[in-house]
Amino acid sequence: MRGRPSMAARVRHGLSFNTIGAVYVLIAIIVVFSIWVPSTFPTIATVKQVLNSNAITALAALAITIPLATRTFDLSFAYTITLSGVVTAHFLTDGTPLALAVLLGLAVGVVIGVVNATVVVAMRIDSFIATLATGSLIQALITMATNDTPIVNVHLQGGFAKIGQTNIGGITLPVFYALIVALALWFVLEHTATGRRFYATGFNPDAARLAGVRVDRLRFISLIVSGSLSGATGIVLASTIGSGDPTAGTAYLLPGFAAAFLGATQLKHGRFNAFGTIIAVLLLGTGVVGLGLANAPQWAANMFVGVVLIASLAVTGIQRRSTGATPWRKQLSFARLRRSATAG
Amino acid sequence: MQASSVISHLPRLGLGAPALRLTGLSKTFPGTRALVNASLEIRQGEIHALVGQNGSGKSTLIKTLAGYHTPDPGAVAEFDGEPFALGHSVPEGLRFVHQDLGLVLELNAMENLALRGGFISGAAGRVRWREQEEETYRILERFNIELDIHRPLAEATPVQRTVVAIAGALQGWHGGGGLLVLDEPTAVLPHDEVERLFAMVEEVRRDGTSVLYVSHRLDEIFEIADRVTILRAGRVVTTLPVAEVDQRSLAKLMVGEDVDPDYRAEVAARPTAPVVLELRDVRGHRLRGVDLEVHQGEILGIAGLAGAGVLELPYLIAGQPRFPATGSIRLPQRFSEWRDVGDAKSLGIPLVPADRARDGIVAEFAVSENLTLSVLDRLASRGRLRKSRERDVVDHWTRRLGIVTAGPDSLISTLSGGNQQKVVVARCLARDPDLLVLSEPTAGVDVGTRVAIYELIAGLSRDGLTVVVSSSDLGDLLAMCTRVVALRDGRIAGEFAGDGLTEHELVNAIEGEHSADGVDNGK
Repeated sequence: MRGRPSMAARVRHGLSFNTIGAVYVLIAIIVVFSIWVPSTFPTIATVKQVLNSNAITALAALAITIPLATRTFDLSFAYTITLSGVVTAHFLTDGTPLALAVLLGLAVGVVIGVVNATVVVAMRIDSFIATLATGSLIQALITMATNDTPIVNVHLQGGFAKIGQTNIGGITLPVFYALIVALALWFVLEHTATGRRFYATGFNPDAARLAGVRVDRLRFISLIVSGSLSGATGIVLASTIGSGDPTAGTAYLLPGFAAAFLGATQLKHGRFNAFGTIIAVLLLGTGVVGLGLANAPQWAANMFVGVVLIASLAVTGIQRRSTGATPWRKQLSFARLRRSATAG
Repeated sequence: MQASSVISHLPRLGLGAPALRLTGLSKTFPGTRALVNASLEIRQGEIHALVGQNGSGKSTLIKTLAGYHTPDPGAVAEFDGEPFALGHSVPEGLRFVHQDLGLVLELNAMENLALRGGFISGAAGRVRWREQEEETYRILERFNIELDIHRPLAEATPVQRTVVAIAGALQGWHGGGGLLVLDEPTAVLPHDEVERLFAMVEEVRRDGTSVLYVSHRLDEIFEIADRVTILRAGRVVTTLPVAEVDQRSLAKLMVGEDVDPDYRAEVAARPTAPVVLELRDVRGHRLRGVDLEVHQGEILGIAGLAGAGVLELPYLIAGQPRFPATGSIRLPQRFSEWRDVGDAKSLGIPLVPADRARDGIVAEFAVSENLTLSVLDRLASRGRLRKSRERDVVDHWTRRLGIVTAGPDSLISTLSGGNQQKVVVARCLARDPDLLVLSEPTAGVDVGTRVAIYELIAGLSRDGLTVVVSSSDLGDLLAMCTRVVALRDGRIAGEFAGDGLTEHELVNAIEGEHSADGVDNGK
């Protein structure tokens, strides 16, 4: 048996396009925009803008990283973000103390996580459909609570506003929250037994189960994680925008999944991972901010996100085919085929 | 060696140009030469076997023929006397049934055949189902198989699926002649259904179509093939008429050293050792009341046809039944009261599953991650996985079981089937069990590695491990078991140990009196 690969080989692997392609694309984007809009793009202000305006996206994408690692979809997370923000704003408006209101907002996330987990794991409904359905239920609650009008109140200023609006040297707190969550997820997924089991559950639940991994329990937990993190994200978002907006979270549905999927092509091939997700958020965010500074037309940002996503997934797909690893479509098939019941 | 009748061969025909002729075929992948100057000639109407160990270049050769790989320059290929460009075009008469069969299990036989051969449609693309149905019956007729063409193939038996795949591959070819390539068609078939497949292959040949038959299982070659080509390390060793070789010489040609197909591992019967596992009146999907006692340090084999419960019993003992089951279990050395078999999961008896790709390995994981999956808790301290401990465990077991890898961080999918199997066994052993259950331990494993697995298991039993192994391959059980229990129709039909453990006795017990056709059509 041969030993570990050499340091040089590991560095070469770590810096290969295969591993961190998005970083090279990010550098290319920075170069392009620095040439295109030299007066406004290559500035500290741009860096701060990219970070501050993408912190919530990063939190949203990180929230769904663990369920995705177990190949479980949580499409309801964007509605959870909205509901927890709305609930917190609602209680603050009623004069509830800040800490309690925030706790109630977090509780919303946890409860939704438990409901999702029950529907997906205990009732065995495919997560894609199940969380689409619970998302619709959450939307109903949002409308019930707000009548579809934003909750704006003086109580939402002051202490509550500090959660999302405080800045340290021009960088707002949500950026640090995202970093902390990323570090925590990185530790769990990379350095704990549970993280390894999350991945095993996602890649081959049957083999994992036979190896003694409690597959159902992990999928249950993963949905509670996404519910709780989405709830927390919702509070930060409500604080940042200073209101309980009944549509606030919806805008993060697609960017969240885009960043998580793009992130899975980075660092750890085919594994949803925290810092891959962060790289993806930065890549997409920098492009969008740059296009804004360059006065590109309105549609350019969405087109950029779409093109980058398809291109990156296609490139990784091609690489995987040539290396013979499992192609994406197989790994990500929404419903694993129910195996035929032919046991002797 | 086999529990089966020999199919009478038709007169050998060898007229005209060969069906297929390949010369100078090489294929280089980064880092390996999968094929080196290989040549192959298949005569009209013959059944030609292609054998070789894992990694000998069989798959590369088949995939090159099928156009998936482009060979290195210099290869010459002729089909029916007509040259064609390997890797770029595939002649009309060259048809393939790949190992995974290429079927959509959610669809029925009719739809699967139509997906390949085209739907019969009328105005506005409407499918004429009535005609489609007749066409399906017409295609399947020659194979004389009972199959509800309206049920999803997921509900069909493996042999029925194989037939649909063969029929699908041959669709639209009426020229006579032609060549059908069957890549490991018996890999997923229970042994007793292999005879049915052979009948299908004979039927294909009756039409004048040649067959290239790729297999791991040497006994099959003798039953069905006219000639055999042996690959070893990417080179063609030789092509011989099957009549001129026996299993031993064929195995020797494959592995390059003397391997005895009648190998018997050194194991000692232990009828007096204490009982470590007891089952009482276990019933399930196929099982109809099984009582079993397993003694410490023995290797207990479970034999039987598919449908007799041989696939069910190991999963049940390991607490991972696919179907609800009733009955009692106890481990007298750990607790004396009887427990429900439904609670067997909590006993933590590790299982090496039958279907390695499906239930055994996590293909996206590295060797080390696969190996340590069951003992992760032991590798952690204060919540953190210690990579150094993980490496120690991996190093220990790769050395102990002789697992050949390019390193612990290489993907498990880069390993040969036999080495993947060893990783799965290592994962179970890392839990430090006193009882190990294996189901079909040599499925998809070549001759040389098989013996290694027998020796491995025998060695573990000498060290005091108790082993329960079920296999549809009697060769497995004869090679390593100290005692074999034969299941028939979900009940124990006989028990054999020592001198009474012979192939003849086992076959009689397994097949019973009414076993001539060996057919089991599921439900």
